[in-house]
Amino acid sequence: MPRSSAAEPGGQALATGGDVVLDVQALHRSYGSVVAVRGVDFEVRAGEIFGLIGADGAGKTSTFHILAGMLAPSAGTVRVLGQAPRQARSRVGYLTQTFSLYPDLSVVENLRYVAGLRRVAEGDFRQRRQELLKLMGLAPFGERLAGQLSGGMKQKLALCCALIDRPQVLLLDEPTTGVDPVSRREFWDVLARLAGASVTILVATPYLDEAERCHRIALIHEGRIRQIGTPAALKRDLGLTRLELRCPERARAEALLEEASGADGPAPGGIVDVQTFGDRLDVLVSDAARGAAEVRGRLAREGLAVEDLQVTLPTLENVFVTRLRQEGVQSLPLAFPRSGGRPRRADPAIAARALSRSFGGFQAVRQVDLEVGYGEIFGLLGANGAGKTTTIKMLCGLLEPSAGEVSLAGETSRLRSRELLGRIGYMSQRFTLYDDLSIRQNLAFYAGVYGIPRALRRRRIDWVLASCGLEGQGDLPTGQLPGGWKQRVAFGAAVLHDPQVLFLDEPTSGVDPVARRQFWRLINAFARSGTAILVTTHYLEEAEQCNRLCFLVAGRSVIEGTPSAVKAAQPGCLFELQVPAGFDQRSAEVLRRHWEPWRVSRFADRLHLVLDDAGPELALVRRQLGEAGIEILSLRQIPFSLEDAFIGTVQRTAAAEAAGALEAEP
Amino acid sequence: MNSRIRAQCIKELLQFRRDRLTLGLAFLLPLLSLLILGFAIRLETKHIPVVVQDLDRSPLSRSYTDRLFATNQFQPSRWQGDDPVEALDRGEARAAVIIPPDFSRRLKAGKTASIQVLVDGTDANNARVIRNSLQATTEFFLRDRGLVDATQPVLARTRLWFNPGRKESLYIVPGVYAVVLWIFPSLLAAIAMVREKEKRTILQVYASGIGAGELLLGKAMAYLLVGGAMALVVMGLGSLIFHVGFAGDPTPLLVGTAAYLASAVSFGLLLGVRSASQNAAVQGVSLIGFLTALLLSGFIYPVSNIPFPLSLVSAVVPARYFILISRDAYVRGTGWPGVALDVLVVMVSAVVLFAAACRSLGPMQLDDGAGR
Repeated sequence: MPRSSAAEPGGQALATGGDVVLDVQALHRSYGSVVAVRGVDFEVRAGEIFGLIGADGAGKTSTFHILAGMLAPSAGTVRVLGQAPRQARSRVGYLTQTFSLYPDLSVVENLRYVAGLRRVAEGDFRQRRQELLKLMGLAPFGERLAGQLSGGMKQKLALCCALIDRPQVLLLDEPTTGVDPVSRREFWDVLARLAGASVTILVATPYLDEAERCHRIALIHEGRIRQIGTPAALKRDLGLTRLELRCPERARAEALLEEASGADGPAPGGIVDVQTFGDRLDVLVSDAARGAAEVRGRLAREGLAVEDLQVTLPTLENVFVTRLRQEGVQSLPLAFPRSGGRPRRADPAIAARALSRSFGGFQAVRQVDLEVGYGEIFGLLGANGAGKTTTIKMLCGLLEPSAGEVSLAGETSRLRSRELLGRIGYMSQRFTLYDDLSIRQNLAFYAGVYGIPRALRRRRIDWVLASCGLEGQGDLPTGQLPGGWKQRVAFGAAVLHDPQVLFLDEPTSGVDPVARRQFWRLINAFARSGTAILVTTHYLEEAEQCNRLCFLVAGRSVIEGTPSAVKAAQPGCLFELQVPAGFDQRSAEVLRRHWEPWRVSRFADRLHLVLDDAGPELALVRRQLGEAGIEILSLRQIPFSLEDAFIGTVQRTAAAEAAGALEAEP
Repeated sequence: MNSRIRAQCIKELLQFRRDRLTLGLAFLLPLLSLLILGFAIRLETKHIPVVVQDLDRSPLSRSYTDRLFATNQFQPSRWQGDDPVEALDRGEARAAVIIPPDFSRRLKAGKTASIQVLVDGTDANNARVIRNSLQATTEFFLRDRGLVDATQPVLARTRLWFNPGRKESLYIVPGVYAVVLWIFPSLLAAIAMVREKEKRTILQVYASGIGAGELLLGKAMAYLLVGGAMALVVMGLGSLIFHVGFAGDPTPLLVGTAAYLASAVSFGLLLGVRSASQNAAVQGVSLIGFLTALLLSGFIYPVSNIPFPLSLVSAVVPARYFILISRDAYVRGTGWPGVALDVLVVMVSAVVLFAAACRSLGPMQLDDGAGR
């Protein structure tokens, strides 16, 4: 097992590190015959942010329950602050996966209750309540019921509750699920500040962009830790380079390069892995120069043009998929059994003009325009409550728009007609499979519902089983499948009738990177056969997979375009800078004094800084840090992520609106 | 008071106040139950339709018939046909009285006259009541007319010691208190407990290091207060609506009610701790509550009639002892000497149920198998 980096004491985090605060050794936990945790070892030091990265059911939550002292381990030793977890409970704050808040209590009442349970003296409570609510930006909402807060605010309140007793250790189990990107970034900045104040933080997340913000991470898969180390070290240890390839015929190029890649290691040409990523191909190669030459050569031989070829670092996703693939079987999508070919169509599959919807006085969706062509994957992004679900409901005719027009697969009226429904597929967030039926029974049920001709029925069901890697296991009860498999079966059920338009509502929540990649291969295969696909997600990382995307904020579309275009359209540039260990908190404070706070954000031991005009502003930054006595170890420009682009756009819009409002005032 | 218990108690009361469901459970439903049970349950039978076939048609037979219908217990059936048996068959009458043609002649001659009485036996209990009542009316008629020998050797003269007016509400309403004050406080407590598990807020509670006893005591105190308010409303309005007042010293009832509410709340907490979902808890609490408080407590059917294995169950039903306390306060009025033991039993039941709930919640950890 590739655990080399676990032994490596390097990484800047440990240099700052103090005592071992969390010590987990050979931890096992089983429930009856089900083993959730099978031999987990890790240590977390004071002031460290340590990430446990893994899918649903990987054993993260069980580990948290044990560390919080509410579940006994089946075997192994666990020490928290040198004590048994139960004894250390008063010095540990725990943020559970579901909001541990009472929705019918107000913000202050929730805080007061937790303070009472943890025996915080009244005077301390008043003082800390002020501090924490101010820190989280919740001060104006003290009297609001917790149930009426947005997802991001709820999560911040939950963090306040966990912090009211000044814990030395914070356990955060998937704290940013359903939180909008701006709140998410603020949340992580608070975590960085806490770690700076020597609070030890263990955080679980299924998302790899959050992993980048941890000092060290451990990949946990099926109850075992597969990888452990700093994000930088893990990427370095992979020993591979990522090429971002943009070319006109992505499908052909992918097939071509796939052929050239070795399944079990680098092929002679050095190509390890190829993946379609929205409007580009990601090619992993063992050597940058040789790999690039190989890619260009192969494509040229087939007469395929190369628009652009960028050499960059591998992502954490590359690390995990490459590591995990050593155990999983990677199967290519099989051809979907169809009775005939499908005509290529040029008219839009889904179109909306000035789509609006209000509920009472509340404007859920305002003036949204979008157009999705056949064969295109379109991403509808936004936080919980941004209007994604309302938009989808209007697009497939479940909800009447207040204003605007919808056309779906060529129809503009009667969107619920039986004929049209037969051409539409829908997969909801919660997999709509019956847990107590076998996989085959589930699929047979949906095949019956859609009225698929008998001749095709069997072949299609076999196709779903085969493309999910479940051949011969069709009689397994669906409830026993792990999340990633279940999701693929659910996708299979949604496409049994070969729809022309496919709606996928948050299809990849709680799925590990390998399963997610498999899933996107399926989606890509359908798109190539001419299906129009509309995907919603609240994770920007996922949006990279879309051909085009639009981002909703409070019901309004704020960004639209291809992922590359969205990032390219972002004004200014992004710098990553590193300061000596221990100075990161102070330098963040210094920079936030001089620059708008959203321009500065912390990623583990580094800072990200958005500047509009690099030349003069960079000199200014150097001077400001210099005056504060902080040395800059490294400073380099890095590409914007979609998250950066989104946050930048939102903040600039808000600033422009505020300025506009000021001008409008007499 | 321990600060944790206080924090828990305050939080429960805040949540209670905000939730319309629990407010309804605490005040609206108990009052509705009081009205329904108080008005609907009538053990005494009145206005029983009786068909009389007077074949004698003499002044004496007519005066016998008049005597029969003089009380409100019997009333003439609307039946107009010839055959009284048909009236029974059709359900137009519950009993048929057939006076033979020689009725007055035989009586005047000093001979025994027989009247045929047919009673609908479908409802066995009612049939017995009707038979006894007809028997008594007949005897009264004979004595009144001086048709029987007044020199009977033994004559039992009965007088009702408590509730001399045989006011039925005096019997029913104190029993209704026992049912209502058991069901609703236990439901509220069970919901308060199981909701924490269902919404997973219990994890935060586990992580805080509060003990099982502290948590349950905080919840119990909150719902004891709610139960007290409920008792005040139900008993106060019950007295006004049904005109029942204290017959003696009310302090045993006061102490007994507090203990009884504690017992109900502890029972609810215990079921809340043991159930995985709100549905299961509500069904468990209401099913067990109604079965025991309604049927095995002596509320309607005498405890002494319950056959052997079930009588053991009945012996540990707190409602059974509270009914004794409550009936003593409103009907008997003997006070402490009469019910001290019953109050003690209710107190013990509260302690046992609370201890069981604490034990069940135990180490404040996740159950095996529930952790994932």
